[in-house]
Amino acid sequence: MRSPGSLKQEFLKKWIMGFQRCSSSKKSMSVLDRKKAIKLSADIAMASARKGTTCWSRALIASASKDGSDKHLVEQILGPESERLILMKKFSTGALVCSKRIRSKKILKRSCGIRRTRKCAPQAALASSIAKRLVRKRTQVLKSLIPGGEFMNEVSLIEETLDYIISLRAQVDVMRSLAIASELVNHN
Amino acid sequence: MEPKARTTETRSNGTTSDGDEAVALESLQFTDEIHRLISAPSTDNASSFTALLELPAPQAVELLHSPESAKLIAAPAPNVEDIKGSFHFPSNTSLIERAARFSVFAGDSNNNNNKTGSAETTSNNSSQNPQKEVKSEPAETESCQPLVSDPTVEKRSIKRKDREKKVKGSTKKSKTAANESSEDAEKLPYVHVRARRGQATDSHSLAERARREKINARMKLLQELVPGCNKISGTALVLDEIINHVQSLQRQVEFLSMRLAAVNPRIDFNLDSIFTAESGSLMDGNFPSMVMPLMWPEVQVNGNRQQYQQQWHFDAIQQPIWVREEVCNNYITPENSLLSYDSSANSATLHSNQVKMEL
Repeated sequence: MRSPGSLKQEFLKKWIMGFQRCSSSKKSMSVLDRKKAIKLSADIAMASARKGTTCWSRALIASASKDGSDKHLVEQILGPESERLILMKKFSTGALVCSKRIRSKKILKRSCGIRRTRKCAPQAALASSIAKRLVRKRTQVLKSLIPGGEFMNEVSLIEETLDYIISLRAQVDVMRSLAIASELVNHN
Repeated sequence: MEPKARTTETRSNGTTSDGDEAVALESLQFTDEIHRLISAPSTDNASSFTALLELPAPQAVELLHSPESAKLIAAPAPNVEDIKGSFHFPSNTSLIERAARFSVFAGDSNNNNNKTGSAETTSNNSSQNPQKEVKSEPAETESCQPLVSDPTVEKRSIKRKDREKKVKGSTKKSKTAANESSEDAEKLPYVHVRARRGQATDSHSLAERARREKINARMKLLQELVPGCNKISGTALVLDEIINHVQSLQRQVEFLSMRLAAVNPRIDFNLDSIFTAESGSLMDGNFPSMVMPLMWPEVQVNGNRQQYQQQWHFDAIQQPIWVREEVCNNYITPENSLLSYDSSANSATLHSNQVKMEL
């Protein structure tokens, strides 16, 4: 079982590496640019700490590699693994085809479902259909939150959410410690 | 009845520790059911067994509450021999957790129930990936191998099952196998599900039910991970909480990165200067700061916003913007209490230790 400590260690290592590459590239950046660079390197570091085992990490790296400006930063952080992970990105672009299929399936289901609900007893099915609709709305929102979530079925969505929450927590912990430590150093 | 099985286990399997005894016992019962129920040997490896072992986990919780009898899940025993340790066996805790759940499931004594509660919480708080837990199961099945052919335990498991009313559809199970394998993102090919009394037994509903159970199992894990979700019942509300949690975490990342950007004129975190700012009491600072981050996920929202703001004032940090933005999340509280214990000089030490420990 991966311990949270080792996850944080890996994240921090890769993040610091990203910082060094970032700072070497540009001389002066505005606050917003710096913030973007910091966040980006943090996200990439977090995603690469998973080493491509999870879908969200691959999707995150894929979306970051799409822009030309961030791409070389991504590659620097990932290092030699970048080739393999970008290849995995090809799998995720294959997910675009899956998404079209999923969308067409949903349209089909919806059209069939409309016919079905008219047949069955309205009272009994009402509560459960409302509940189902609520759950479906929530899962849509969740899919929009998790990177690359639109392409997953429900089971894998929940697993990805689990992993994503854990990674986010580790990321927040490390970032906060670093922020506080550096602030205190600067103020002293 | 129980001690007999245990003694046979200890006799035939001297390698297992005490903690694994319950594990071996419960999986033994399952393997015996397998022998009884499934005539056609499945062609899969024990990864399907792991899926089955994983599924009753949430149902074990249900069983604690529900009067209806257990819904057993069969697994292909003959293929236990095929596994040659191709999966990891990371730790015993997940196994013990599963064992504890199964022992509740089979109606064992209170010891196992207590073990369930503690093992479940500890393992779920520390578990990173349900797939890893699942993968650790096949190693467990290896150890149960020599016990499979015990007839006395088989009789016992039969008696236990007589309490339940089931429909056996072994051919339909293979259909559900095909359905599951096509849609499963994990490498777990198929799942055997026994229909409860009064439920439809065609392949579609069986597949549906298996899928729903899988989803419920994951949702239980999520509920334990997200603080404050344990008391909520109902999928929509739990999903609400999860969504809020993920959104708050993402927002925190944004704010923290803004904060870090504001601190440094260039993107250059001088870790050496952070570490050289340490003074004296290093180890004293270590333990509380190690404990605190681990405790953060379990802290509930107090609603003590006054408390947050007061503690923020104790520090040398003057960032009212961040206070307002971060005041609504749970994670600030223990950190602030941590900071308030020390003067600002020592708190620099503490946080540099935190950063150091995370390296």
